[in-house]
Amino acid sequence: MMSFNSSLRQSNSEALSLSQQTAQYLQKHASTGTSIIPIPFIYHPESTEIWLMYEKLLLSCLRTGDDKAAHLCLEKLIDRFGATNERVMGLRGLYQEAVAKDDAALERILREYDEVLAGDPVNTPVAKRRIALLRSLSRTTDAIDALTELLESSPTDIEAWTELSDLYISQSLLPQAVFCLEEVLLVAPSAWNIHARLGEVLYISATNGNDNVDGKTLAEAMRRFCRSIELCDDYLRGYYGLKLTSDRLLSAFPDDSKATGQIVPAENGELPMPSTTTVRKLNEKATSKLAEITRRAMDQGYNYAEVIAAKELLDKSTQTRQR
Amino acid sequence: MGDPVTQTIHRDPALFYWILFPISIVMILTGILRHYATILLQTTPKKLSLPALREQRQLLHGINLRTNYSAISASSFTARKNYMVAAYKNGDFLKDPENRGKPAGNPMTDPAAMEGMMGMMKGNMAMMIPQTLIMSWINAFFAGFVIMKLPFPLTLRFKSMLQSGIATHDLDVRWVSSLSWYFLNLFGLQSVFIFILGDDNAANQMAQQMQQMNPGGAGAMFQPGQDPDKVFRNEAENLEVVEHEYVLQGVEERVLALP
Repeated sequence: MMSFNSSLRQSNSEALSLSQQTAQYLQKHASTGTSIIPIPFIYHPESTEIWLMYEKLLLSCLRTGDDKAAHLCLEKLIDRFGATNERVMGLRGLYQEAVAKDDAALERILREYDEVLAGDPVNTPVAKRRIALLRSLSRTTDAIDALTELLESSPTDIEAWTELSDLYISQSLLPQAVFCLEEVLLVAPSAWNIHARLGEVLYISATNGNDNVDGKTLAEAMRRFCRSIELCDDYLRGYYGLKLTSDRLLSAFPDDSKATGQIVPAENGELPMPSTTTVRKLNEKATSKLAEITRRAMDQGYNYAEVIAAKELLDKSTQTRQR
Repeated sequence: MGDPVTQTIHRDPALFYWILFPISIVMILTGILRHYATILLQTTPKKLSLPALREQRQLLHGINLRTNYSAISASSFTARKNYMVAAYKNGDFLKDPENRGKPAGNPMTDPAAMEGMMGMMKGNMAMMIPQTLIMSWINAFFAGFVIMKLPFPLTLRFKSMLQSGIATHDLDVRWVSSLSWYFLNLFGLQSVFIFILGDDNAANQMAQQMQQMNPGGAGAMFQPGQDPDKVFRNEAENLEVVEHEYVLQGVEERVLALP
């Protein structure tokens, strides 16, 4: 009935349908965890999934603005795990932030978080909520400071690293963002979306809005997209990036004869520039793949906006070729 | 040779009602009881302090770098490696830097380790006591009864398993003694407990023993009595000898080779 995907990967429609099922679900599991010793056969046996489901429902309800149902879910969780449970504290904070009326209320919540963290500095969910709240109060530098502090004590936290890279990008500190994404890859080396994300950041820092592009970085970005395609078949974002970067490479270095044919790794382990023929081939492959994907995208669950962007890119490149 | 002579033993149906059922019911009830006893006895795992957490995560960070280095470029890898090796050797991440170089204390005196052992003791007790009690109860009251006949034939090897407590050579393997019924229940009730108590119950002792074999989670990074400084130094050496390879090397050709 309901999928147990990560709530971060839900699309809007999924979240909506999930939150619409909340009332039903709450009714069905109304008995769970109410008595201290559940009598077998009469009550549903308790399992971890039920509570994960409650958490997911809470998040979906908050996303779709169904605060009442979210409150019910939260109460259930508090009843079961107690208000001092770290995870519940984080969720409670999330709920409070969602229903807060104005910035003053948010500031009050922030002070609450500070108090909690002063008593218990290891409370990661609350620490993360605090950072997210700082960000939504647009105190980005404070958020970055807090995040680096958090990462100092737990440098294997992927979620925190991605958030930090996002914050750095918003401050256009691209080398730092690249560093953060590399840290994510050290924990999850086959996360194709992170490879593509890294490619995007590298592409931005290579082109940097003006015309003289940094070839090395651009080649690296292209290779990142290649890796993401290698890890995930028909990955739209990967092919999009590949087309974009290879277009850029071809226009910036129309044919550099010195790089053709020789693949010698330079000293200190840097990869050489790819040959123009390879780039051209990659470009052709990306173009055909993008065309294929956009043709059959609608019934395959691709993100609508991404498909439209891909179509636009294709149209633009055909126009330039015709000219 | 003709059909083997089927042994028939005329059993009082009362055996069935007064031995087979009671043993099963008692086993299920003890399982449920054990489940709740374990829940009551459970101490919430003690939270790590911030420096201890940092110590573990930073070590994990190094291990991650060592295993997944191929995802990042050579220059990024070298920068990280140099930083981490220096920090590991300096003992920057140690929980208590002033204890560095001193021999590790006796694990018996470490309160955290003691607590873990107490928890294990309690778990063991919750399993041992009811088991001994039921064993002796069955031995005292029901020893030597043949209580049922399995509806399928078995080879001779199962004799010791199904007929413990009955010293007869000629009895067909299909007959089950009361003590064996107890053992069958002991090992075979897991699905019943899942049905009654939900997925992660503590009713079955086999599952419990399995859990104790590998107590996973954060605590497993450092065994009690191990010197964290030494672990860090080891890891620094491991990092130093890593030969870097880059996964992006030749990725264009690999992608072009894709269908």
